[in-house]
Amino acid sequence: MTDKFDKEPADADPSAGAVVSKDSGNVPPEAIKAIPVRHYGRWVSAVVVLALVGLLVNAFATAEKIQWSAVGDTVFDSTVLAGAGRTLLISVLAMLMGVILGVVLAVMRLSKNPVTSWVAWAYIWLFRGTPVYVQLLIWFNLALIFPTLNLGPIYKDEMVDVMTPFMAALLGLGLNEAAYMAEICRAGLMAVDEGQTEASHALGMSHAKTLRRIVIPQAMRVIVPPTGNEFINMLKTSSLVYVVTYNELLRATSTIGSTSYAVMELLFVACIWYLVMTSVFSVFQFYLERRYARGSLRQLPATPWQKVKANMLSLSNWRR
Amino acid sequence: MNAMVKSEGVHKSFGPVEVLKGIDLEVKTGEVFCLIGPSGSGKSTFLRCINHLEKINAGRLYVDGELVGYRQKGDKLYELKDSEVALKRRDIGMVFQRFNLFPHMTAAENVIEAPVQVKGVSKAQAWERARELLDRVGLADKAGSYPSQLSGGQQQRVAIARALAMDPKLMLFDEPTSALDPELVGDVLDVMRDLAESGMTMVVVTHEMGFAREVGDSLVFMDGGVVVESGNPRDVLTDPQHERTKAFLSKVL
Repeated sequence: MTDKFDKEPADADPSAGAVVSKDSGNVPPEAIKAIPVRHYGRWVSAVVVLALVGLLVNAFATAEKIQWSAVGDTVFDSTVLAGAGRTLLISVLAMLMGVILGVVLAVMRLSKNPVTSWVAWAYIWLFRGTPVYVQLLIWFNLALIFPTLNLGPIYKDEMVDVMTPFMAALLGLGLNEAAYMAEICRAGLMAVDEGQTEASHALGMSHAKTLRRIVIPQAMRVIVPPTGNEFINMLKTSSLVYVVTYNELLRATSTIGSTSYAVMELLFVACIWYLVMTSVFSVFQFYLERRYARGSLRQLPATPWQKVKANMLSLSNWRR
Repeated sequence: MNAMVKSEGVHKSFGPVEVLKGIDLEVKTGEVFCLIGPSGSGKSTFLRCINHLEKINAGRLYVDGELVGYRQKGDKLYELKDSEVALKRRDIGMVFQRFNLFPHMTAAENVIEAPVQVKGVSKAQAWERARELLDRVGLADKAGSYPSQLSGGQQQRVAIARALAMDPKLMLFDEPTSALDPELVGDVLDVMRDLAESGMTMVVVTHEMGFAREVGDSLVFMDGGVVVESGNPRDVLTDPQHERTKAFLSKVL
């Protein structure tokens, strides 16, 4: 279906071109041959910037104290890979928690019931108004004030057994993220034209169906881009769970770093993996945004592969 | 003939502004009922009251003999639950000035959405019906197009097909051609004329006096939240009795 969608607008172009050539008669107009403006400033600034970048790269490459071999030796170390895996795991789970709770909070916030709306507001105020680092510490140390977790007849256990580093990390990141996601979702839901809800209601659809079938799919277009940014942020913010002793990427690399006297080198290793994860996700986000642009853009943005094909085509035209 | 819509002293206020100041009228089953009047006269608001998109403040409004939005027991009125309101709306199709097609669905998906989601019609059946309806409004070849790929006139015809897919007994049109380029108006009016000939009861808020004269069975001129003049469209439009009607018609005709 998407392929068909891509091609359709192209059909209109040839006819428009045909009209122009008919008007201008049989004699083609002489092409303009002018001497282009020379942009000397561009050349100068390019040289300056390249020189500065070169100096910076050189400084790192030739620094005697950096053991580049340590970076190469540890980048695929099993401890580092496991750490990267945990970073990914905690980020995905916390994000999932944030998105689900965020949608619920956004709907609560927009509800006509003043109590639910107020509770959602207070939640967002509390979790967005305090640093996530502090929240992580509070979850981690919860056993100091609640030694046992007692949910009546359903569940009872020692808090220290429940609040493992993983749980503290998940709750700290996920509950904080929910506050941000709630605001993003609220903006998305409010961006959908009221006429959509009216049309849906006029067809006899219930509030819930209207929300699920009509409003949320359209809100997604507004929600997805900032959510992608949130996830990229989450991948990096997850390094804060170092403090609750969850053995993610930063903790894994710095443990190796401090024992092998290669602190900076292992921080570079951490950077490499963070960059890999954020880059891979950016590509994924491009396709996700493209998916939700369906119906709102006449022509979807070209995928990188389509761009390559188009460039090769224009190159071959130019040769001719 | 019995009344499809019956309005007795309907009042509606938005805050301190009284938009409808006692509307009495009757739409007979099978007739095309046109509402005309200057903007701000309350005609669109009245139309929206009929399927309870707006709550009325006073008076009684009946559709097919049943009270809109309320249930009467003795002399007490009980508000209907949302699900009960939704149930009644199934039988009332509505076409909006701004089309309000669902932009994330193709034309055909727009048409099958309500039958499948609300009535529980099977997808295969709904698709078949959607093809029929799109063919009826002259858009059989646009089933797979998204609203953004259609012209305004085409979008409005899809919107009509979407409303018809629920097999309504009453169709409401809220200035269906006001947002269209002049050359696209004709296609939409043709579809509406065709629908009128099939015997559908229609309430049409419109500025198309030609349509009202040719297709309309009754016409009401509203101004300032009241019905100023009503009767046969040909009589009212050619020989208005009231000063305000004369003034309005001299501007639009």
